[in-house]
Amino acid sequence: MSEFKVVGQSVPKADALDKVIGRAKFAADISFPGMLYAKALRSPVAHGILQHIDYSAAAALPGVAAVLTGKDVPGANNFGIIIKDEPVIVKNGEKIRKIGDTLALVAAENEAIAEQALALIKVDIEELTPVLCPIAAMQPDAPKIYDKGNVLAVRKIVKGDTEAGFRDSAVVVQQQYKTQMVEHAYIEPEAGIALFDGDVVTMWVSTQNPHYDAKEVARNLNIGLNKVRVIQAATGGGFGGKLDVSVQVHLAMLAVVTRRPVRMVYSRTESIKNSVKRHPYTITMKTGADANGRLTAFECTIIGDTGAYASYGPGTLTRSAVHATGPYEIPNVKITAYTVYTNNPQAGAMRGFGVPQVAFAHEAQMDMLAEKVGISPLEIRLLNALRPGSLTATGQYLEQSVGIVSTLEAAAAKVREIKLERRGGRL
Amino acid sequence: MKKRGVGMGCMWYGVGNTGLPNPAGAHVDILDDGTVLVLTGCADIGQGSDTALAQIAAEEIGVRYEDVRVVSADTGVTPDAGATSASRQTYISGNAVRSAARAAKQLILETAAEMLGVSQEEIIAGDRLLKVRAASGKSQAFTDCQSECRVGLGLDSGSDTREVSIAEVIAKCRMKGKLTLGHGWYNPDTTGLDAETGQGRPYATYAFATQVAEVEVDEDTGEVTVLRVVAAHDVGRAINPRNVEGQIEGGCAIGMGYALMEEIKLQEGNVLNCNFATYLLPTSLDVPEIYPLIVEDPEKTGPFGAKGVGEPALIPTAAAIANAVYDAVGVRITDLPITPDKILAKLKEKQNKGA
Amino acid sequence: MDKIKIQFVLNGETRQVEVEPDLLLIDLLRERLGLTGTKVGCGEGDCGACTVLLNGKNVNSCLLLAARVNGCEVVTVEGLGSYDKLHPLQEAFIAEGAVQCGFCTPGMLLSAKSLLDVNARPTREEIARHIAGNLCRCTGYTKIINAIEKVACADRHCACSREAEEGR
Ligand code: FES
Ligand code: FES
Repeated sequence: MSEFKVVGQSVPKADALDKVIGRAKFAADISFPGMLYAKALRSPVAHGILQHIDYSAAAALPGVAAVLTGKDVPGANNFGIIIKDEPVIVKNGEKIRKIGDTLALVAAENEAIAEQALALIKVDIEELTPVLCPIAAMQPDAPKIYDKGNVLAVRKIVKGDTEAGFRDSAVVVQQQYKTQMVEHAYIEPEAGIALFDGDVVTMWVSTQNPHYDAKEVARNLNIGLNKVRVIQAATGGGFGGKLDVSVQVHLAMLAVVTRRPVRMVYSRTESIKNSVKRHPYTITMKTGADANGRLTAFECTIIGDTGAYASYGPGTLTRSAVHATGPYEIPNVKITAYTVYTNNPQAGAMRGFGVPQVAFAHEAQMDMLAEKVGISPLEIRLLNALRPGSLTATGQYLEQSVGIVSTLEAAAAKVREIKLERRGGRL
Repeated sequence: MKKRGVGMGCMWYGVGNTGLPNPAGAHVDILDDGTVLVLTGCADIGQGSDTALAQIAAEEIGVRYEDVRVVSADTGVTPDAGATSASRQTYISGNAVRSAARAAKQLILETAAEMLGVSQEEIIAGDRLLKVRAASGKSQAFTDCQSECRVGLGLDSGSDTREVSIAEVIAKCRMKGKLTLGHGWYNPDTTGLDAETGQGRPYATYAFATQVAEVEVDEDTGEVTVLRVVAAHDVGRAINPRNVEGQIEGGCAIGMGYALMEEIKLQEGNVLNCNFATYLLPTSLDVPEIYPLIVEDPEKTGPFGAKGVGEPALIPTAAAIANAVYDAVGVRITDLPITPDKILAKLKEKQNKGA
Repeated sequence: MDKIKIQFVLNGETRQVEVEPDLLLIDLLRERLGLTGTKVGCGEGDCGACTVLLNGKNVNSCLLLAARVNGCEVVTVEGLGSYDKLHPLQEAFIAEGAVQCGFCTPGMLLSAKSLLDVNARPTREEIARHIAGNLCRCTGYTKIINAIEKVACADRHCACSREAEEGR
């Protein structure tokens, strides 16, 4: 019997009942009398300077309650979890860094009027050459997306002496890997609804981090953090894609200006075009082992396309670097990871945070080494797996709860039980 | 011809933000009737944190799961618990809730100890009751003295009271003007990483996993079908095994999409496939049979030993599938996704080399 | 635009409403009648979150004109069961852990019902095929299929094929 009474029990999920009867309120399910509908005008160009915006016709359209542009942002006009580099609304004379940058906001009596209003806004953009490849973006003569340069962050890990490690290796495998940009594709698109009672802005929003959202709203509206109340509505998945600000600041501004409830719900296309993505990586890995298959040295370079804004990019790359060895103890390690700005959609957090990319690479390396040494994939992993007492690439001493060997054993036992047959021999 | 292959993928995953402080807070209120309210900033996005945190609070206080209601993610009401990211909420908010629950329970224990006439250490809580530990050396004299004590407190003398209900203790607390509130927070034990060498302690704990995928590759069309996936995950302790399985199964499905089908296509920075007709997700027909295996190597600093599972679930899947494709047809695809085109091109290359 | 008067049975109740000819069923349900249990995941017929039953058949309400349901019977998740009296599928979805974020759930439930109404004892493969138009990004579908299968089995008091499978 378990030592616990409640922990370890598969009790029914707390929210399941409301969800099966259709009573759970997602943000798009919430409405208030007199509610307005918000839409954003987004940049059609990837890199440019907003020269002029004329919204007089939109503002004059019957049924339009407000049109806001960059000059109407009362506070900082920037946000970002790590680096505040993304504008709430691009101001005249300022830079556009990706397709989808917000140029204006409209709140109207219904969605159709809001759409019509967007079509009436005239923008004049001076186009700049977009930078679309992170490797090209790193070249000294590449067009600068930011004055400080295009390399957002560099992370280095050095342990031992890899040159000596490779010298002592019996086998070495080296390979370049590429991974693609992917979409979170939560089934619920971004959505929120905001109210302003003359004192406090309250909003219900689909989010993974309401406390962060509140901070960005307060900074950009230039009001006290205690005057912002963000309530997470039932949220239809996130997978990292709802860690960044989407509708939050826009809604708060419109609610304050119009003094009416305002709702904003992305269409699927808007969601895919404007949300963060999983970082595409170019990874070069070199791994050495002795004749028995014990790992001796590991070198890895990672270049990640973080797109137009930092989002969780620096954090993702740090995590990739730290995890690049895989769950193995390697005495000599050298890892360099670059996060680079481009004019592509911004990449941020996505379930796995930069580790699925490196796992794809380090696990291929393990299989290639095993083949060269003449042992099985399971054997090479068991031989090198971290254990209590191991030192990681960052020099962290692992004391306890290091279950990689147990998972290898559990998986292998199941593989035998259900008779999965490896063509190349033993598992 | 269709050929089958089997491949393995392993992963490790540090729980929480990398080398940065990332605390979470929680409030616990044990109410008049012995039910419990937990306030936490932790956003449940479907993964089940409300449920896990309720279980942790119930276990710590000694009530039932259905006695606990979690109010989460409302900045007007709940303390900051940081982001629902980095697979951190079970571990970090779990610890915060546990410590808040412990603080509230401490107030109950003080009163219960008086009522039972034993020291606090001799009391165990569970199933809405506070009981004197069986091994307690509570003597007959002690029992007598305790009945006197009960009379003194206005309760019936209770011939041999070895237990009281939490609701009774709360009533007693209220009579004394005592509220049973607890606050707690937790920040994992990490250090920053050295800028030049990256040396340091980025995470307090790591989750681990091994997945094995079985695929079938059609050598004529290049198509890959994933047939079965064995997914063994060291989660420290599964607070809710069914929900852990759900995380693993869902993770494998996203991992499979990552391995084989999904890719955002860009043209001059513009997303070309921006709807579900052109950006294809795995459907019920695409996902393999998944065998989730929960491995528990309890983490000393975790709430009841728990670590995390949200992200680990998908990390090794693409790796395992890629290795399985190699096992099946002998070609290694080094750029994701593994599309039929890429397989056919490599097969052709291999054939030409062989010829 | 001239409005059209329509009459239809919604969750067992006869309703008369006036609709614009271009009003979509999803908007009638969610925005006019306040039945927000039916979700919008894409608005383009690709995800199934908006699935309702039209004369017993699962349809995407985001593609259907409201005027089209004149004289028909429509069932939404609100009509499937209630807090006090859950439909067996709703019970099974809770018990089997088939709900994570829950955004696909209403559509899934109705797709499942439309299958069980015509095929009380589907195989796992038939279930998978039937719900293939309902995307779920959270669960990997396993527990959803388990839940549907559980109801199918309970209906017939039969030995569950899943048990048989597990034993193989
Ligand atoms: S909303 Fe109707 S199919 Fe997606
Ligand atoms: S439970 Fe989240 S989409 Fe299905």
